[in-house]
Amino acid sequence: MPDTPPRGSTTNASPKPADRPLLRVADLEVSYGGTMRVLRSVSLSVPDGAVATVLGGNGAGKSTLLRAISGTLPFTGGSIDAGSVEFGGRRLDGLDAATVVRTGVVQVPEGRRIFGALTVEENLRAGGLPLPRRSRVSGRERVYELFPVLRERRRQRAGLLSGGEQQMLAIGRGLMAEPRLLLLDEPSLGLAPKMMERIAGVIAEINRQGTAVVLVEQNAALALEVSDVAFVLEAGRLALQGPARDLANSDEVRDRYLGTADGAAAQPPSDAPSDAPSDAPSGAVRRSAGSTTRPVAPVLRPTGARGHRASAEAPQELSVQGLTVRFGGIVALQDVSFTISAGSIHALIGPNGAGKSTCLNVLSGVYRASAGSVRYGGHELTRLPPHHIARLGVSRTFQNMSLSVRETVADNLLLGRHRLMRGGFVSTGLWLRPARREDSAHRKQIVRVAELLDIAGHLGRPVRVLPYGVRKRVELARALCAEPGLLLLDEPVAGMTGEESVAMAGAVVAACRELGLSLLVVEHDMAFVMGVADYVTVLDFGRRIADGSPEQVRQDPEVLRAYLGSGGDGPAGEAAT
Amino acid sequence: MSTFFTFVINGLSLGSVYALIAIGFVVVFKSTRVLNFAHGSVLLLGAYVVGRTHEALGFGLAVLAGVGAAAAAGVLIDVVVMRRARGADLGTLAILTLGVDIVLLTELTRRIGVDVLTTGAPWGTNVVDLAGAKVPESRLIAAAVAIVLMAMLAAVSRYTDAGVAMRAAAADGETASLVGVRLGRVAMAAWALAGALAAVAGVFLGSFPSPGIDATLGLAALAAIPAWVLGGFDSIPGAVVGGLIIGVVSALTTGYQEELSFLGRGLGEVAPYAVMLLVLLIRPSGLFGTREITRV
Repeated sequence: MPDTPPRGSTTNASPKPADRPLLRVADLEVSYGGTMRVLRSVSLSVPDGAVATVLGGNGAGKSTLLRAISGTLPFTGGSIDAGSVEFGGRRLDGLDAATVVRTGVVQVPEGRRIFGALTVEENLRAGGLPLPRRSRVSGRERVYELFPVLRERRRQRAGLLSGGEQQMLAIGRGLMAEPRLLLLDEPSLGLAPKMMERIAGVIAEINRQGTAVVLVEQNAALALEVSDVAFVLEAGRLALQGPARDLANSDEVRDRYLGTADGAAAQPPSDAPSDAPSDAPSGAVRRSAGSTTRPVAPVLRPTGARGHRASAEAPQELSVQGLTVRFGGIVALQDVSFTISAGSIHALIGPNGAGKSTCLNVLSGVYRASAGSVRYGGHELTRLPPHHIARLGVSRTFQNMSLSVRETVADNLLLGRHRLMRGGFVSTGLWLRPARREDSAHRKQIVRVAELLDIAGHLGRPVRVLPYGVRKRVELARALCAEPGLLLLDEPVAGMTGEESVAMAGAVVAACRELGLSLLVVEHDMAFVMGVADYVTVLDFGRRIADGSPEQVRQDPEVLRAYLGSGGDGPAGEAAT
Repeated sequence: MSTFFTFVINGLSLGSVYALIAIGFVVVFKSTRVLNFAHGSVLLLGAYVVGRTHEALGFGLAVLAGVGAAAAAGVLIDVVVMRRARGADLGTLAILTLGVDIVLLTELTRRIGVDVLTTGAPWGTNVVDLAGAKVPESRLIAAAVAIVLMAMLAAVSRYTDAGVAMRAAAADGETASLVGVRLGRVAMAAWALAGALAAVAGVFLGSFPSPGIDATLGLAALAAIPAWVLGGFDSIPGAVVGGLIIGVVSALTTGYQEELSFLGRGLGEVAPYAVMLLVLLIRPSGLFGTREITRV
């Protein structure tokens, strides 16, 4: 990597400038609310101009580490109990976030938190606030060069961008401050495989221009590919560290982070730690799905509570015909048709902005269709309000999750059972016997679902304190609690490690097969999709470009071009346009 | 018909003053999540300073002094009281502002006593004939000033760094601090702005046709609360529209008091709240209250 001299004037402090790292974290201890210890004595250092990756499962403390560096711990009730964070010889711990930015450390937060009500251009402008006005124009040009689509959409409100575009905007906004060190939290989250290659290219390019990067990324193959050094966090401790190449070849990292599901999806760059051909991972997903089936079986069977005739809704066929959705002048979906036969698992894939989430939003009644029909059983869904659709046994999860973060997991799950609750205002208010009985039946049921998804230990905790991956499972659990006949999942494994994604696939498949429910899943993790889906529909720019079994779709040249990129065969790496 | 027209014009001009007050509520709420019930006494403070100093300084300088005093009071409330409780829940913060309000109002009441101060405004008691409607000159000037101030505000929030920073902070404080916005400064600026606008509103509320500045002027800010709420709590355009609606409603109900006497006396004070409730029944988040723009 190029060794550009550090900008700024922080060089006075050090007597030995040669091998002093750019970022040094020493014996860092972080806890939330004084009780939950999240980081334990973590020490690591990142050389100037390097790309470093932090790997680890959900809850390992990766995001917390970034927060400790960027000064945003106080926003989540966290605090540094001991240790230090030093950047270019300057202590960062104890500084507030706005000051840290001015030292040259910029964090791009997880979940693309762009300012939705501001335009794209205003978002970039906000990113450039720490710099003098003159130097911003060139910065903005640089961002537009990296992400041409942002230039096209610069006058639009950022909230209307697709997930992938929002991620680009978030990174671009971070670059506007011309950081010496960029902290990226899950940049590839929810991005199409082809888009991930682009992000990898962008990280390499940012680094080439002289910015060091610390990357937290669930797609370990992608992360290790672009990194010089890597660190593995486990339960708040630094478990492994070393050159990225060495770690990529170590058995431990292979098994836990590269091993099965993960790699296959993004698999771009030719010399990535080579995984097995993409059949193998999908096979692995399938196997583990099968293996979890047994114990699940009795668990989810219809609820003990009486009078719940609405429960265990028999799945119906869902038929989408000629669906078109327009927002003002933009056509988000154009004449899309597909059918989900009762009890099958159907995947909807496509590049970011292809209209996948829009499609789910129409099915669940959040958006109105401009034309076309969606029939579920005997009902025309396009004319029904969301709560009515939910009552028919259609349940969903959200891409960006929409849990009540201040409430406990248990309360969120109970909310999922809302449609099954019969107790009236009076009987519940007076806490009469039938209401009590119903309540305890519902609580039993949510415990079962929680056990299935391995979140039973979190039931009493507020969602706010849970790491991303656990929230993801809570969201799925809430949808399952409604005992749906048709389940709509928007990116259920985004942001999970290979291992976790396999487990999630297992749980999803088991639940679907056992309850015989139909599933429509939007997901970028190809191993997951190819492993679980019976049928796949591919969208691009709002149109259906392919439709068929996973095997057919995977070989469809149109799909390779638009979505999978250099995926299977063909020369790697060049598709990043 | 021409009486009706007169009432409407008067209502609109009064409404534009309410809008200034309501904008103050909105700005503070958006940047700091505080329901600021000390707004009324800050308004009174601004007007009081104008009333006490205009003889010595002249009207123009007195207004500057009043605006400065109210802005400084806002900043002080933020720095001395609110900042220490940042992150506390909505109720706690609101009750803190009620406490501040009581302290400030008591002191001002003590100083004003039974006096009725004048603002010393040069437009005095002139009445203008506007296409058949008789409108006090002060009200027309109030409307003009309010429009200019709102236009400036809109321009600042749209085109300047400070405006972008404030909007970013209002949208997502944590992320805003990640791009270098200093939340403390944004909060101070919001309180100062709210105070300044309140002082301007106070001057107009204390001018003809009202008798002058007395200790009850702070209550006038309460009349802007329905405007704030029905506009949607966090929307500046909402505050403006809400202010105008409330202004017109109270002018009409007060003007047609006789005809409406079957509804009881003092209808002018009740009507704004009735309208507010009506709007909230139909649109629970107010007229412009943004349910966030997010993709689900």
